[in-house]
Amino acid sequence: MLVDLPGGWSPLLGRLAWSQIPYANPILAPLFVAVVIGAIAIIGLITYYGKWTYLWKEWLTTVDHKKLGVMYIIIGLVMLFRGFIDGLMIRTQQVWAVGPHSSGVFGSLHGYLTPFHFGQVYSAHGLIMILLAATPLLVGFMNIIVPIQVGARDMAYPYLNALGLWITAAAAALIMISLFVGDFAHNGWFEYAPIFEMQYSPGVGVDYWIWTLQLVALGTTLGGINILATIIKMRAPGMTWGKLPIFVWASLSANVIALTSFPALQIALALVTADRYLGAHFFTAGMGGNLMLYTNLFWIWGHPEVYFVILPAFGMMSEIFPTFSEKPLFGYITMVLASMAIAGVSWLVWLHHFFTMGAGPYVNTAFSVATMLVGIPTGVKVFNWAFTMYRGRLTFNAAMLWAIGALFLLLIGGLTGMMLAIPAINYMVHNSVFVVAHFHSMLLVIVYAIFGSVLYWFPKVFGFKLDEFWAKTMFWLFSAGTALVFVPMYMLGFMGMTRRLEYVFNTGWQSYLDVMEFGIVVYTLSVLAFFILLYVSVRDHAKNRVGADAWGTSRSLEWLTHSPVPFYNFAVLPHVNERDEVAWRRQHGIDNVRPEHYDDIHMPNNTGVAIIMGGLTFVLGFALTWRIWWLCIVSLLAIIGLMIIRSFRGDPGYIITGAELQRMEEEAYRREAQIADSHHSHPVSGGVVGNAMAYQRNDSSK
Amino acid sequence: MDIKWRNWLKKGWRAAALAPVLLLGGCAHNPYWIFDPKGIMAKTNLFYLIVDVVIMGAIVGLTALLVVWFMWRYQKGKNRGMYDPHWSHSNTIEVFVWGIPIIAVGFLSYFAVRGTFEINPYNPTVITHHMKPNGDPVEVDVIATDWQWLFVYPQYHMAVANELVLPVHTPVFFRLTSSAVTTTFFIPQLVGMIDVMPGMRTKNALLSDHAGEYQGIASDYAGAGTSWMTFKTKMVDKADFAQWVQKVQQAPGSMTYASFNRFAEPFINVNHHLVYFSSVEPGLFDHVMTEVMRGKTWPIPPMMTENMVDYMKKQAAEHRD
Amino acid sequence: MSSHASTVDPKKAELWDTHHHSHDVISTRTLGYFLYLLSDGMLFATLFAAYGVLSYQHSYFGGPTPAEFVKPWYTFAQTIALFLSVLAYGFGMNALKHKNKSGLINGMLAAFVLGVVFLVLDIHDMSHLYSMGITLASSGGMSAFMVLTQVHATHIFFGLIWILVMIAQVMTKGFTEETVGRLLTLRMFWHLQAVIWVFVYIFVYLWGYIS
Repeated sequence: MLVDLPGGWSPLLGRLAWSQIPYANPILAPLFVAVVIGAIAIIGLITYYGKWTYLWKEWLTTVDHKKLGVMYIIIGLVMLFRGFIDGLMIRTQQVWAVGPHSSGVFGSLHGYLTPFHFGQVYSAHGLIMILLAATPLLVGFMNIIVPIQVGARDMAYPYLNALGLWITAAAAALIMISLFVGDFAHNGWFEYAPIFEMQYSPGVGVDYWIWTLQLVALGTTLGGINILATIIKMRAPGMTWGKLPIFVWASLSANVIALTSFPALQIALALVTADRYLGAHFFTAGMGGNLMLYTNLFWIWGHPEVYFVILPAFGMMSEIFPTFSEKPLFGYITMVLASMAIAGVSWLVWLHHFFTMGAGPYVNTAFSVATMLVGIPTGVKVFNWAFTMYRGRLTFNAAMLWAIGALFLLLIGGLTGMMLAIPAINYMVHNSVFVVAHFHSMLLVIVYAIFGSVLYWFPKVFGFKLDEFWAKTMFWLFSAGTALVFVPMYMLGFMGMTRRLEYVFNTGWQSYLDVMEFGIVVYTLSVLAFFILLYVSVRDHAKNRVGADAWGTSRSLEWLTHSPVPFYNFAVLPHVNERDEVAWRRQHGIDNVRPEHYDDIHMPNNTGVAIIMGGLTFVLGFALTWRIWWLCIVSLLAIIGLMIIRSFRGDPGYIITGAELQRMEEEAYRREAQIADSHHSHPVSGGVVGNAMAYQRNDSSK
Repeated sequence: MDIKWRNWLKKGWRAAALAPVLLLGGCAHNPYWIFDPKGIMAKTNLFYLIVDVVIMGAIVGLTALLVVWFMWRYQKGKNRGMYDPHWSHSNTIEVFVWGIPIIAVGFLSYFAVRGTFEINPYNPTVITHHMKPNGDPVEVDVIATDWQWLFVYPQYHMAVANELVLPVHTPVFFRLTSSAVTTTFFIPQLVGMIDVMPGMRTKNALLSDHAGEYQGIASDYAGAGTSWMTFKTKMVDKADFAQWVQKVQQAPGSMTYASFNRFAEPFINVNHHLVYFSSVEPGLFDHVMTEVMRGKTWPIPPMMTENMVDYMKKQAAEHRD
Repeated sequence: MSSHASTVDPKKAELWDTHHHSHDVISTRTLGYFLYLLSDGMLFATLFAAYGVLSYQHSYFGGPTPAEFVKPWYTFAQTIALFLSVLAYGFGMNALKHKNKSGLINGMLAAFVLGVVFLVLDIHDMSHLYSMGITLASSGGMSAFMVLTQVHATHIFFGLIWILVMIAQVMTKGFTEETVGRLLTLRMFWHLQAVIWVFVYIFVYLWGYIS
């Protein structure tokens, strides 16, 4: 309907048909069975333990930024795992399908994935890792930490926060369901014109890709508005701009980028939608279309996007380094200026993603110089972290190791980035695995920062520390995997290996691919170590309980609250006097001063509307993908209707009385005293090898 | 100290990555095509790569060493370095950490600008300033299809599919277009990449003084057959080239506009078939571009390579040679 | 060199907020909505960029160009309708300041009707083009023309629905904090759409007519 649709269309089901379900696929069919069994098991367990009410009341309808942040992180970790499996599949195909004599199974000439499937695997890998793993993980951390760090009770718009989460979850669900119903995009995570046009991508893959991305863009824009408004309007009294924690500055600059750049993506996608759904000629090769326009529009979003993901990671590193150097961050003001400079200049460099498209030497050099300029504030940050460590007292626990690893990866990524910034070099390595290794180095900076932050802030959110030994084991295994996969990849880039090869035509590359496959095995071991880490930490959680200042050398405001953070964050909002308020109070011995008086506070109610809206957006995305027009209209009307109904209902919230607050606070203080006592009588907490908890002052470090 | 050793090990891996740079201009069978350029364009690219790596490598390397030194010296409990809990600002250091990168970027910008003009695919000064008055340039029109390369030699009114043969010591000027989707023309040892786009004309140029056989690649994803869209590039002596041209001009095949439409239908060149066309209808390149601009497409059937084995049978049955 | 010296005396420092800073609900809502409108502005900026790239002679691929079918006076009537709609809404907001509920509702009704006039004119124009065979599938340039103008029209459409909802809310709930906040944000939205229309009119209709 509206355009010629290969494969037929029916009014009831759109393009959906039995032939779109890959029940004969030897990988997907067993996977589907496993997923169904897993889902039944989970549902069964929840029912058996009678936890549905708890789940609904405490998690699925919550508007509490901490719980929403935790759910963002859960989505991110689950999708990180799926993206990792996709990466594993890519590596395995490429190590197998080398040379014309390599074997083929499952209908493939070489390896086990045909081009049809291989294209989907790496496209899903890219899209998931950047937008459904890294972004939710970072947004989750910003959600949890920013309100507490500015001394607020919640985000500026708690309901909008929940909405953003469930829309992101809908996007994740849409890309997951593309595994089993239809196919996903084949042409990479960012697609090209005109290969995404209907003639060259006749399946529903590109449509899934469009709507997944649109949902992610919507969720991220809403989240961006929330974080910006929170930082601008909800700071605790006394917290001037100059006293803002550095992670909050990082979140601010990142979300300014998000707010302004995601609309460009949404339009680029909308124009692709017009081409595919309405027969428009925005990006077709003929009829007056301009296929280069797509590339420009996409990367106008695409480059600010990568800074949107890396600035929070830099912010995380800027929190971890000072805490474990027991010194304030070096050059706070220049760090802030550097973040702002990066956010600004990131708008001026997008063409470096397609130097080879033939823009001519004047245009290419302008963007080349701009790209190199963006490297300057990034370099400044590296030096500032180094000089934070200088004359400090460094504790090399697992969180610090991840942060240091991120720093070294930034050096490599930065070096290779400066190489790619020069067209003369770029013409040789564009679209080669050298570029792949470069951006993976940069994305690994983010991954390392995230893992470091998990270790760093987990005690604040959950009230106990993660097991140091397994955390360090995971770190070393992960870093070994990184070296084994990406060092050979850089070398292959210099050998001329281009990216996205389903069949590798040069047998000379086999030994490097073998090393990389071994690297993936080591990565898999690190994933195993992560699961063991979670199990051991939960098992031993009673021994690893912490108080408000979990690390003993923490500096920023979130370490003033109890661990785990109560749902109201602060019973009485703190008055901020200095940058690094907690460090200042501890230094002057006033960190244990309690408020004298508790007033009533006003909290928002939970609501089921957000998750229902998320479900409806999923249905809408699915219906649009399959062109089930009646379902599109119904779900769109339902969404608008629900919005209107909710706006009439409103939410008066509820009051917690001062007396109730006082009771809860005294309970919390009692618990903290118990934890402090237990640590003094048992100098070494059980099951932990290696660096002692920083606040156990009797213990020597390893 | 375990930490220090392990960090050195990590750095060691990374240093090892740069070791292959030592293989520059090395042995006969150097797998590092980027480091083994055989054409002036590729050589120029390598020059700028070395310049950039030396400048940035120095800064990055020194910074890494600085960080490692700080990690070792200021470790808690070892009392090697002074602990100053309030030190967090220094104007001198700020001047250095902003200044050195700015100066480095200044240097690199100069090289970036110079290099971009030197290997500009549309008018590379390394070639145009090297042109010998007696060297008539060879012109090649490149038409990429799903998933073959058609190299048309308009000066000789002939074409070859999937293999490029060129004379040494002679500038070669390319015009490139695509029939279906975007891909990229790349010969690592001879010339850097230029995109090949439907309905549009890009340009490239190369000049090589080394006879030999080199690998050409379609380095932008163009669909299911991209992995097989490689082509050998043979640089031969001028005399050999003249002979080869004559040989092709006696081939049985010919390429008309109509036969091009058949040629451009989706075909995955698994067996690297070469086809020779002794005569080519004049203006084929412009004709293809105009047709595409008018909206001509060569659509891909749905789920084409869902099963490659079955698809290859189907493709063979359609009597493609 | 040490960090910035501690300027607050720890013994006299205020550690907890005892001044009950209450939360300004309305300005928080309008700030957030302003941020959303920034993103909406970026949406249109990108559309204008796409339109700019696709408004060359070859973008119309020999087919009809705006110069051939655009009717500036007709479209000027649309401009008048939209501006009067914004003016009517402004009068309504003035009535709000004087706590005049019926004045507000009258203003909003007038804004609604004038907005509908705008949309009717737009739809009539588009269906006329469609009947002549000029659609967004005609060429790249036409795709850009249609999408840019109709994305704006879609914004107007949703704005009209919003006006109706707000009329209903004011009638049932009166001037609560939430209702007033929403009226303010709707005003911001309506104004922005008028501003965007100015750009659309000048760059698409007028400039298209001249070139």
